[in-house]
Amino acid sequence: MVIGTALDIMSKVAPPRAAFVDHPVGCTFGSPHDRSRNETVLARALAELPRFTQAGEIRDLHCDWTPGGDRAWEEELRAEMLHDH
Amino acid sequence: MPLEYLPIMAQNSAPKPQRELASPSKTAWCPLKKPISESRVALLSSAALRLANQDPFVPREDLSYRRVASDPKAGEIIIDHHSGIGRVPKEDPEIVFPRNSLAKLVDERIVGMLSPFHLSFMGGLRRHREIEDDLAPALAQELKQAEVDLALLVPY
Repeated sequence: MVIGTALDIMSKVAPPRAAFVDHPVGCTFGSPHDRSRNETVLARALAELPRFTQAGEIRDLHCDWTPGGDRAWEEELRAEMLHDH
Repeated sequence: MPLEYLPIMAQNSAPKPQRELASPSKTAWCPLKKPISESRVALLSSAALRLANQDPFVPREDLSYRRVASDPKAGEIIIDHHSGIGRVPKEDPEIVFPRNSLAKLVDERIVGMLSPFHLSFMGGLRRHREIEDDLAPALAQELKQAEVDLALLVPY
């Protein structure tokens, strides 16, 4: 199973099983040193495994990056990725 | 609507054509054979990560891989991948390579057992044919020999 943050890329590549984590790329299991969050995301992904029924399925782990679902991080990440290039 | 990364990649590539995304020529599907609580689990990472005492990966088209001991006490993880997203994961590789979390889930009996090693290789390679013909079968053989039931791939 793939556990990834880039839904559009996973949709295009279509691995046999994929779990989507709505976090910034590079932070799949949460923030640095947040072991509780790291473990929660991994446990959620493992819990999804028996629910896959066919190849190419992507299951959303419903992990928000910020508690209120604020998506300001997307603009910051986009700018950072374009700047770093 | 989740953030779309393909347009960012396209913008970064311009004026060159965007990096090609390759799908497997054969769809792999293997039913689960055991409950997770009885399964042996391995991590796969495309972060080109390794233990500090292992040979570094050589950007950008390194087709080698490393066995990384699954015991978190085996040593510090180094990320060799050249991606610009690496600043945060290099501060704590656990967020892309949850070696400690997986070991804890074994202790909690949510996961059956650890593979003796995890596997890491370089992501973002352009040599798709060699990945499918050489690298991927070699990784699969490693997992088979280690009698791994579940492999979790975390793209970088």
